[in-house]
Amino acid sequence: MSEEQKQPQAPAAAPAAPQGEGAPRREGESGGGGQGQSQSGPRREGGHSGGPRREGGPGGGRREGGPGGPGGPGGRPRGKRQYFRKKKVCKFCVEKMDFIDYKRADILAQFVQERGKILPRRMTGVCSRHQRWLGVAIKRARNIALLPFAGSAAGVQAPRAIEAPKQ
Amino acid sequence: MEERLYDLIFIVRPATPEEEIKKVLTSLEHACAEKGAKIEKSEHWGTRKLAYKVMKHREGIYLYQQVRTTHGELVHELERRLGVQDSVIKYQTVRLDEDLKRQKKLSQKREQRAARRPRRTAPAPQQPAVAEQAAE
Repeated sequence: MSEEQKQPQAPAAAPAAPQGEGAPRREGESGGGGQGQSQSGPRREGGHSGGPRREGGPGGGRREGGPGGPGGPGGRPRGKRQYFRKKKVCKFCVEKMDFIDYKRADILAQFVQERGKILPRRMTGVCSRHQRWLGVAIKRARNIALLPFAGSAAGVQAPRAIEAPKQ
Repeated sequence: MEERLYDLIFIVRPATPEEEIKKVLTSLEHACAEKGAKIEKSEHWGTRKLAYKVMKHREGIYLYQQVRTTHGELVHELERRLGVQDSVIKYQTVRLDEDLKRQKKLSQKREQRAARRPRRTAPAPQQPAVAEQAAE
């Protein structure tokens, strides 16, 4: 941090300062979660090669969600990346569902993390319209205890269940 | 007033005897009968694990009913009756008819599209399929 602060103070390094600032900012953003860090790798590689930088970002994200390998093999076929990308299709569109029932907790549970977070579209590939309905359905299911609110995971509940009968 | 369809789910304590559940159900039926509402479906889902603790219970008996009515106040009355009962630990009413209406509309559209497609696209059946995916 101290080196970065010195750079803007020096008047001769004025053009260099925005670059110096730019790099740590990206690190700060990507450092938020473990997934973000792994994404930052391919993004920079894309930046060096020039054109496909934007494509590199979502490509990395998809690879995480899908069954594909981690960043290691992803770096190899940089030019051929497009061939490896598997296009995700909305499950609800495939099954032609025009209505997502909040009572079908078994379906809704597929689009929720273990702790109850609604999964983002980039992970599941659900189309925007169905994601909207899905969100409503999940929230309704939460209200009636079919799905957990974020925070009450099954792993946390299990040990308490042993204590419950004593009460 | 137009007719509306409501989903009514309520959860009863797992130790509740059958008779008491029946009592609750009959009181709901009475309330519906007074307002001239129809109970379209009445299901007993049995004991289910709750996703989180409700009134210190980890399990509950789910009961599900679908009510069609023209009187919106009926929902208040039903919820009031459920709130008074000690055995009922949670309840939720959801208005369904708007969602179902939308569903009907969309499925009709889909059928129309499906009916139109074979006539037009005898030479290239693959192209419209791709376009539909992109549109959705």
